[in-house]
Amino acid sequence: MSSRLPPAALSLKQFLQRQKVLAVYRNIFRTIRQVPDEADRKYLRDWAREEFKRNKNATNQDVIRMMISQASNHLEELQKSLALAKS
Amino acid sequence: MRSLEPLTWILITCLRSSSRVSYNMAARVLQQCVRSLARPSLGLFPVNLALRAAVAPAVTVHRPFSFAADSRRMRWLGQSRISSVELLCRQYGDLPPLTLETIKDRVMYVLKLYDKINPEKIQATSHFMKDLGLDSLDQVEIIMAMEDEFGFEIPDAEAEKLMTPEEIIQYIADKKDVYE
Repeated sequence: MSSRLPPAALSLKQFLQRQKVLAVYRNIFRTIRQVPDEADRKYLRDWAREEFKRNKNATNQDVIRMMISQASNHLEELQKSLALAKS
Repeated sequence: MRSLEPLTWILITCLRSSSRVSYNMAARVLQQCVRSLARPSLGLFPVNLALRAAVAPAVTVHRPFSFAADSRRMRWLGQSRISSVELLCRQYGDLPPLTLETIKDRVMYVLKLYDKINPEKIQATSHFMKDLGLDSLDQVEIIMAMEDEFGFEIPDAEAEKLMTPEEIIQYIADKKDVYE
């Protein structure tokens, strides 16, 4: 996931993928906000940051796509647990 | 014409039509208006007293204690006539108004608290990526922190364009209609 601004311009597909990554990142943070406990929130935020930063330098598009879907799955799980916890 | 009359009229019509919802609402509005009056100037028509007493049983479920306090206060102060001007003071709760200065202070405060930014080096015009060496993930986090601070959501498309504290301040001032 090329997060730093590269010297060369991104192709359209890469640009769109970058937007998807950032959108998933943002949605994860928005969902984390709804977690009731502050310590849990901090832990989840650090975990999300770690995961994204670790894979920051991947360049293969398929690998990036797989990682995006993994992140979306984590996000869905988190949302489902929150919905269950609230009800 | 006393300005309380419209409210008592609503209450009377609601009593007549016996519609529960508007009855309670009108009772609550009347109660709130009376409660917002300055204490020394409180005094009502005898008609109102009767109505308040009629309202009491319906409202007791909601706020019995404060209502009893109100009616006690009314009886002590007697039936002095009020000037309509004092009846018009409504009080609402709200935050202090935003100015460009306060927005700037809050934005810089949040940025200084962010652990990846060196608090001495940050200025209003420092670019997140070029000057401060952050990447787009950090920029997302910073914008989320701003959303938390100011209490409104910033959509994705506009969030990714905000690259300096100055731009953030301008954007918030735009959204909150602070004089530009």
